[in-house]
Amino acid sequence: MSEELLDLHQLEPARFFEQVHSFEFWFEAVEGYLHGLEYGHRRETPEAELSAAERDRLITVLCNYCVGETAALEGAGGLVQIAPNRATKIFLSTQTVDEGRHLEVLVHRLRELGVADPELEIATRATPALLEFKRRLLALVRERDWLAALFAQNVILEAMEFTVFQAHARSADPRTREVLQGIVKDERRHMGFGENELGRRLAAEPGAAQRLAAIRHELDPLVFGSFRDTLARIGGRREEGADLAEHYRAAVARLGFA
Amino acid sequence: MSARDPLRKPDAEDGERPRRRYELDDRGFDEVPPRYRRFYRRWEGPRDTLAPNEALCPVCKVVVRSTRELRPGDRLYCMACMSRLVVVSGAGGRLEAQVVY
Repeated sequence: MSEELLDLHQLEPARFFEQVHSFEFWFEAVEGYLHGLEYGHRRETPEAELSAAERDRLITVLCNYCVGETAALEGAGGLVQIAPNRATKIFLSTQTVDEGRHLEVLVHRLRELGVADPELEIATRATPALLEFKRRLLALVRERDWLAALFAQNVILEAMEFTVFQAHARSADPRTREVLQGIVKDERRHMGFGENELGRRLAAEPGAAQRLAAIRHELDPLVFGSFRDTLARIGGRREEGADLAEHYRAAVARLGFA
Repeated sequence: MSARDPLRKPDAEDGERPRRRYELDDRGFDEVPPRYRRFYRRWEGPRDTLAPNEALCPVCKVVVRSTRELRPGDRLYCMACMSRLVVVSGAGGRLEAQVVY
């Protein structure tokens, strides 16, 4: 293929979106950063020596990541049913696979840290606010409210996870870092899909912005509180809490309902 | 504003300085299929300087690269987060990318 034809920015928008929403694109994208990994990290990556307190804090944080990823997995799977067209359904099926992988690697990481019964541990350590967010998200999916459910899942939840996982990866032990870095690469697609799809829908249905602003007002504290708590547990810097809010607020401002 | 594709425009339009062209090298950005990797690189933070053929994706903070010097109105795609972008002249005349839904 000639250099000219290989230039991505030459593509017509419809062709670009058709391509990036496809399973073909997904296969080639994830192959680049997941090839050679076992449960999200290289086999040879050493297990760090953690104190009992550090290990306990990490387990609590990972348990809450598992709650978020379970919400995202059930949410993405449910969204496939109410997505407005086939390209969107296909993209959401790739997101569902990503979320299932995230949950699997996080549960596996818990086992590596010595957690004998991850299900029990997750249930014990889950933050009530995050469980409530999950309940609300899945209710929006059940109500077949496409815009609201997509906003809750792919803008609120994904933006928070994207920022928190990036922050955590900077200070995490080597294995946890590799697991989180792989998840962040997936989250970039999910977050971008959510913002772009919502942006297109809001342009066609401007009245929906007010409704989404009300949902935002209701759901923000649940997720913000939970992730701020996580940042504190992982020893996040104060600025990272601000980054968390900033990244999300910038997305909401671009969508026009800040 | 209509998005322009830098690669379908002549190098020099009426009264405009010709655009510089760039050979793009693979900077190890592994989140897109191999044939598109040269169009992206990781952003190194606020102290990272963007070249005249580069713009920062406002959605996911990846540096998007073009084979030509960018001008306002140019269309770019961020494949990492699946965003369509347009280059605009920002504060102080600095070029920035904005998302187009």
